[in-house]
Amino acid sequence: MSLWEFANPARFMRISGAALPWVAGLAAVILPAGLAWGFFLTPDDYRQGSTVKIIFVHVPAAMMAINIYGMIVVASLIWLIRRHHVSALAARAAAPIGATMTVIALLTGALWGQPMWGTAWAWDPRLTSFFILFLFYVGYIALWAAIEDPDKAADLTSVLAMVGSVFAVLSRYAVNFWSQGLHQGATLSIDRDQNIDPVFWLPLLACIAGFFLLFLALLLVGTRTEIRARRARALQLAMAG
Amino acid sequence: MRPALALLLRDLRLALRAGGGAGLGLAFFLTCVLLMPLGIGPDLAMLSRIAPGLLWVAALLAALLSLDRLFQADLEDGTLEVLAVSALPLEAVAAVKALAHWLTTGLPLVLAAPVLGLTLGLPAQAQPWLVASLAAGTPALSFIGAVGAGLTVGVRRGGLLLSVMVLPLYLPSLIFGARTVALAAQELDPARAFLLLGAITVLSLGIGPFAAAAALRINLR
Amino acid sequence: MAGLRKRRRVRLIVAGLVLLAAAAALVGYAMRDGIEFFRSPSQVVEAPPPPGERFRLGGLVEEGSVVRGQGETVSFRITDGANSIAVTHVGVLPDLFAEGQGVIVTGHLRAGVFEATEVLAKHDEKYMPREVADALKEQGVYRGD
Repeated sequence: MSLWEFANPARFMRISGAALPWVAGLAAVILPAGLAWGFFLTPDDYRQGSTVKIIFVHVPAAMMAINIYGMIVVASLIWLIRRHHVSALAARAAAPIGATMTVIALLTGALWGQPMWGTAWAWDPRLTSFFILFLFYVGYIALWAAIEDPDKAADLTSVLAMVGSVFAVLSRYAVNFWSQGLHQGATLSIDRDQNIDPVFWLPLLACIAGFFLLFLALLLVGTRTEIRARRARALQLAMAG
Repeated sequence: MRPALALLLRDLRLALRAGGGAGLGLAFFLTCVLLMPLGIGPDLAMLSRIAPGLLWVAALLAALLSLDRLFQADLEDGTLEVLAVSALPLEAVAAVKALAHWLTTGLPLVLAAPVLGLTLGLPAQAQPWLVASLAAGTPALSFIGAVGAGLTVGVRRGGLLLSVMVLPLYLPSLIFGARTVALAAQELDPARAFLLLGAITVLSLGIGPFAAAAALRINLR
Repeated sequence: MAGLRKRRRVRLIVAGLVLLAAAAALVGYAMRDGIEFFRSPSQVVEAPPPPGERFRLGGLVEEGSVVRGQGETVSFRITDGANSIAVTHVGVLPDLFAEGQGVIVTGHLRAGVFEATEVLAKHDEKYMPREVADALKEQGVYRGD
């Protein structure tokens, strides 16, 4: 079976309907477990004390915020090239989740920064980039909301996502040029030495998995809702005409 | 090239004669810059420090001002559909209209900037860089703006939506443009920021007409 | 008509690609000698900046160099191992400011002393439990605070 068969809305509804309880159930187990592990069963950091525990929310939310934008760009490209409705609707459903993740990352970052840096907000490149990312999400969501014809809206938002991705990357580097950072470098990376003790790393991994499953479950629900809304709209038009 | 030139002259004439779009952008820019000292206070030392960012933000807002009418009037009276089936590809139409927008809103700002820089106490060595950065940076504002205008051309009262969508796309130009002037004002070397500003503009010239034409085609469907 | 339009569009696409290449070339030219966010003490010693120039100085806070208790003024030295520069700052220091830790200061040199108007402490990207850090310090492996 090729991947593209998921793009058939009827088949997508069937498969996602069957998968949704499992994904949602898994998220409902792993996310609270990971958070509880991180909050109650890990020791304090050697310099940051118990403030360190905010990373169990902050890091997964920040990762999701960026990756969801990437997912929207890929889904838009698939829509523009192959005209699969599920792809366009998944991009639409993902945007509010991504915007929420961005806000969570910014808020938890502020909570961490208040005691550790001595300021809840600094115009640091990474913080500013996330603020900008949030603006990109808002523009994208606003364009979806402003256009009535669903296919036209899918096309136009896809163009915006393409152009936006170019300028989002440019902003990322421009912001680096603009101010020297306060934010620490990335802790998790594949190719460098491990910077984080396994005591923190394992629950963090569980939290990342939990956030991803949560996103997947919300995405499935959102996409299914969008498909149903389109069907309802088509029925309405058929009855009116 | 003759049809492109004809379209350019038509758009320029419309901007200059009907509704005064050209003069208004400049007037808005002047008012914006005047508002700042009134809000902040007449401390020239402080004003000269924030002048680069202030002038660039004002330029950004002035460029946004007339953007929502870039294609809308032509869509409403059917001109855009005629243009779409003419011998001129839609990409060229978008590029020419963006150019006309720059000539009527961007270029006046470039010419007015030295006077405003002077009133804000911008150091003399930064003055040429202010003019150069606006000359090299504002075309990007018109060409990126054309994409936003194309996307929102079918939306009634799309002006606010257009601003929300387009302003984040302006950020790289703003950063490098204001940085160029600020570095020059601090007697540091602004060449790198200026080159990057130019790179953003060249990139926008390359991408903008195509994305705008794609959006227009979708909206004409 | 349509044929003419197509020919013109091909020409436009070529022009667009040339512009993209030009943009890439401009970026490459602008970045040819790397970005410098801050200067290290050695760079400043080798090529002293003109007096009054504002720049950022980055490095580690030298062990045992922090002197407090002169009113609100704090002085310390920033080192990169080879050279070090004296810094004074009036105001509050961030929580993560500590001897041996990374710091970036903005200001200018006056008579060999860097007068900082802004002090930023950098947190490193390491997270470990307090006990592990203590153990490492006892063994002399880790030289954090």
